[in-house]
Amino acid sequence: MPQNQNGKQIFSLLEVTQSIKRTVAKRYGSSFWVTAEMNKLNRYQRSGHCYPDLVEKKDGKVIAELRAILWKDDYDRINANFQRTLKEPLKDGIKILFSTSITFDPKYGLSLQILDIDPSFTLGDLEKEKQETIKRLQLEGIFGKNKQLQLPILPQRIAIISVESSKGYADFTNIFKSARDVWNYSFFQMLFPSLLQGDNAVRTLIAQLDRIQKVAHHFDVVAIIRGGGGDIGLSCYNHFALAKKIAEFPIPVITGIGHSTNETVTEMIAHENAITPTKLAEFIVQKFHDFSVPVQKAEEKIVDRCLRMIQDRKTEFTAAVKLFRSATANILVRNRNLVDRQVGSLLQQMTAQLARTNLLLQNTERNVTNLSPENVLKRGYSITRVNGTSVRSFGQVNIGDTVETLLYEGQISSQVMSKNKSEKNE
Amino acid sequence: MSKTEAIKYTEAFEELQEIVSEIEAGEISVDELSEKVKRASLLIGICKKKLATTEEDVNTILQELDAADDGSGHTLA
Repeated sequence: MPQNQNGKQIFSLLEVTQSIKRTVAKRYGSSFWVTAEMNKLNRYQRSGHCYPDLVEKKDGKVIAELRAILWKDDYDRINANFQRTLKEPLKDGIKILFSTSITFDPKYGLSLQILDIDPSFTLGDLEKEKQETIKRLQLEGIFGKNKQLQLPILPQRIAIISVESSKGYADFTNIFKSARDVWNYSFFQMLFPSLLQGDNAVRTLIAQLDRIQKVAHHFDVVAIIRGGGGDIGLSCYNHFALAKKIAEFPIPVITGIGHSTNETVTEMIAHENAITPTKLAEFIVQKFHDFSVPVQKAEEKIVDRCLRMIQDRKTEFTAAVKLFRSATANILVRNRNLVDRQVGSLLQQMTAQLARTNLLLQNTERNVTNLSPENVLKRGYSITRVNGTSVRSFGQVNIGDTVETLLYEGQISSQVMSKNKSEKNE
Repeated sequence: MSKTEAIKYTEAFEELQEIVSEIEAGEISVDELSEKVKRASLLIGICKKKLATTEEDVNTILQELDAADDGSGHTLA
């Protein structure tokens, strides 16, 4: 009860606060729906109660602020509902549509007691954020930037952003291990540990990307690997700062985040995205096959082709030899025929020549026979001899010499009586 | 660095493909064949070596990171 003192009505603090409490309870008797941004969830681990900071902003400035209360049981129910619908837990920095009643506590003051939160409103808001990230990347002209980078023919040196103990990391590296064992492919892997989900992941992912960027010349590709973590808390991959970092990264960034929800912006802009770490590793191993198989084939093709080429030349050579042989044989036959014909003609000509000569000889013989002394004597000529020598000159014979006259039928001896030299012979 | 290592594996891969298509198209004479086969086997060697080896070393990279971190005045917690 208020006290009267010097005409003043004086209330105790409790009386005032209780009055406010009564007024508030009377004025705000029923619950109603409110939209606000939950700046901080402020969940206390021990009690499980939350005391969210709710704000409304205009042009980035806070224009209204009020504390809220979310009791443990309500939190558990709402959070489960959120994870089911949004694949995200209740967290800082989301816009919410909530059912609430205004309470006033003499000790803790005015606050909104949150009774329920509509996850579809936040879902729409998260989706809007995702679309905004996409739009901003497109506006800056960097949405497709990482995809435009050339992945080396052999993406051999891999900077892995993951958690060493995660199933995704094990799946990813196991594929390389077996590729090494089976095909003797060599990989260089280096792990850059980071959170992979939830709001803090944005910061640690960017920090590790910054580190890799400093030594980027040692790597062909960055792989962000997550797996076995469920589908909760992946909206960090829609965060603009992270997406921008990846889009503008100097070497290809590939992702195997391993979830079944819609593709995040990070996965959209990554150079290559696979639905699981295993599939992503297989993508890389396939690159090795694409390199290795043609090399193997090249070896086979060259050997095969060379053997065939040599065989072809051998066949050609054999054919040429055969052709040469047949050609030369023909020439021989032709020439032999020619020789034969010429020999024939020569023989013919020789025979004719012989016959002609023979005839000539016969004529000569006849002439010679006609001229023989015997035949001459027959025709009435005679030979005169003196002392056994035929007389050929006038001086050979002297008067008184005995000369012999040889006729065809016999010989006559006579004595030279006189001699008269004929004048024409002098 | 030896002459072999001076040829980048990507260049080796491309040149090898060229030789294969030349040989397949029958553009290489028997006289050139021996030279080309010798070259191809060198290139195949480079490619196979690349598939089976990496020369990176974690410690070197860590040292480079430390140097870079010192330079920028902060390290990752």
